[in-house]
Amino acid sequence: MVRDTSFLPDALRQQLAEVGQVDVLVGIPSYNNAATIGHVVRAVQGGFARHFPDQRALLLNSDGGSKDGTPEVVRQASIGSFETILAAHPLRAVHRITTPYHGIPGKGSALRTVFGAAVLTGAKACAVVDADLRSITPEWVELLLEPVLRQGFDFIAPLYHRHKYDGTITNSIVYPLTRALYGKRVRQPIGGDFGFSGRLAEHYLSHDVWASDVARYGIDIWMTTTAITGGFKVGQSFLGAKIHDAKDPSVDLSAMLMQVTSVVLTLMGTYAAHWRPVQGSQPVPVFGFEYAVGLEPVPVNLARMLDRFRTGARELRSIWELALHPATAAGVARAASAPDEDMDFPPHLWVRTIYDFAVAYQHGRVNREHLLRSLTPLYLGRTAAFVKQTRDAGAQEVEQILEELCVQFERDKSYLLQRWDETGGGS
Amino acid sequence: MTATFSERLISSLNMFFEAVLRFLPGLLAAVLILIIGLVVGWALRMLVAHILRVARFDRYCDATGVTQALAHADIRSAPSLLVGRALFWLVFLSFAMAGLSALQVGVINQLIAEFFLYLPRIISAVLVLLVGFLLGNFLSRAALLGAVNAGMPSPRLIAIVVKLLIVVLSFAMALEQLRIATSIVLAAFIIAFGAVMFGLALAFGLGGRDVARRVLERQWEREKEDAADGFSHL
Repeated sequence: MVRDTSFLPDALRQQLAEVGQVDVLVGIPSYNNAATIGHVVRAVQGGFARHFPDQRALLLNSDGGSKDGTPEVVRQASIGSFETILAAHPLRAVHRITTPYHGIPGKGSALRTVFGAAVLTGAKACAVVDADLRSITPEWVELLLEPVLRQGFDFIAPLYHRHKYDGTITNSIVYPLTRALYGKRVRQPIGGDFGFSGRLAEHYLSHDVWASDVARYGIDIWMTTTAITGGFKVGQSFLGAKIHDAKDPSVDLSAMLMQVTSVVLTLMGTYAAHWRPVQGSQPVPVFGFEYAVGLEPVPVNLARMLDRFRTGARELRSIWELALHPATAAGVARAASAPDEDMDFPPHLWVRTIYDFAVAYQHGRVNREHLLRSLTPLYLGRTAAFVKQTRDAGAQEVEQILEELCVQFERDKSYLLQRWDETGGGS
Repeated sequence: MTATFSERLISSLNMFFEAVLRFLPGLLAAVLILIIGLVVGWALRMLVAHILRVARFDRYCDATGVTQALAHADIRSAPSLLVGRALFWLVFLSFAMAGLSALQVGVINQLIAEFFLYLPRIISAVLVLLVGFLLGNFLSRAALLGAVNAGMPSPRLIAIVVKLLIVVLSFAMALEQLRIATSIVLAAFIIAFGAVMFGLALAFGLGGRDVARRVLERQWEREKEDAADGFSHL
């Protein structure tokens, strides 16, 4: 396996050489997260001290050139007295390094540095956690590292309790599509907080993706997909609620949707030979103790979503017709023309829509960016129908509805294969 | 008198036949060159169309909106065939000019020389139009998508205005390449462009003050609604 770590900054290489071998490593990618990263660092420090007191540990902050003093906050963050969280003092010191990363700006480049550090230090178990987390606790460190360090897992995805209207791109596209394609029920494939083995870090580094969108914004789904398709042992850990700082408001929904789906669909082309024979899906082992979490209510503007969907149906029909099968296009037109109270975007129509877009993305009949930007009104139409359907539903009922959607994705995979072959997509 | 007449007649006929004999090789050469032009043009047309098909040029034209734009103009042929045909006519026309020059007629030779001097300008004007057309389609679609996704009023109108501006600009540039009434085209373009922008500004600011206020208020309301929507999509 290729172990090229020459991309690491010299200063970091020197610091890593001084640290020597470690057992566990937690990476925190950051960019202007001074307000929240202190809490994350303290939680990781506490996690090391409480759950891995006898392990050599390294906390690595990979920073994208923050202007708000994020590295200083990382250096100064201290848990204070360990007595508040520990019965005994840790046996080994926790090493802490903050470093700028090299490469194109993005979380992917930041994590590449973490992978490189993991390889150089010979870390057995690693984890990455976002720098904007407000709900992280020391237990997250245990839940992400323990299955890797002591139970032989290679990749641990997060499992959160989220509000029914939180993570709708994940729920309606990324999770069901990833599950139907690769046959593993990883509930939060773009969760952002992962555990992984040193062996998998080395495998990640052997891929030449660091000048692509993976390095910018597609690292989460790439890590999950690469772990599954590489045959690594995959699990997931229940982490409770995920509360983090609001995302940058300048990144609008359309751009966000385009970024996520473009990476998912590009990977679909790359791993076509892997997913084609997969049928159905298998559950993935879950670690951690599941418990109910009180979640903040999420305000929803249904009228605005329906308005955007109908505007799209009126104005973007010519683009949709290039991507959608005529029967799917007719179904979408019917949904858009229905009055508010009768409007529905049923699962089978949504699944066909996504599969048609996936084929069109590979086939290249429409400029890819334009194609994916035209998905936004359709996504809002589906989300509006979902909101209508689940307005009075509890968490379990919503999960059951999502399960039915996933099953529909799996059932219609033959349709995807048929259209994929008809158009020669990605083959 | 008779001798003079017959001599003149014979002399004239001799001169005519000599002229015909002098002209015939040129004519034959011209016909031959035309036939070669037809064959070469046809072969190039087939070759280029085939290469473009293999290179998925038609799909690229689909993706950039060229095929749809051609369909709007009732041109249903595949873009690769269209390029092949255009190349055929270019080659055939060039050979036709070469054939005419074989006739060695002074006026025609001068016209041909002027044609060949002008040919690069025609080609660059066609390229400018083509690029303008492609860019117009691409940016118009991008503007339409941006406007729809941002919930802006009249997204179709925005897309049409974007396309119109780019096509008009490329048309003016093409005419400038062809040296057709350069100063008039430039002046007309500046005046027309300035007038449109000034008109829009006036219409929006004065004539449509109430409309402008409503649009801005609506946009403001939308932004507030967006902020109030607590969805976290990822």
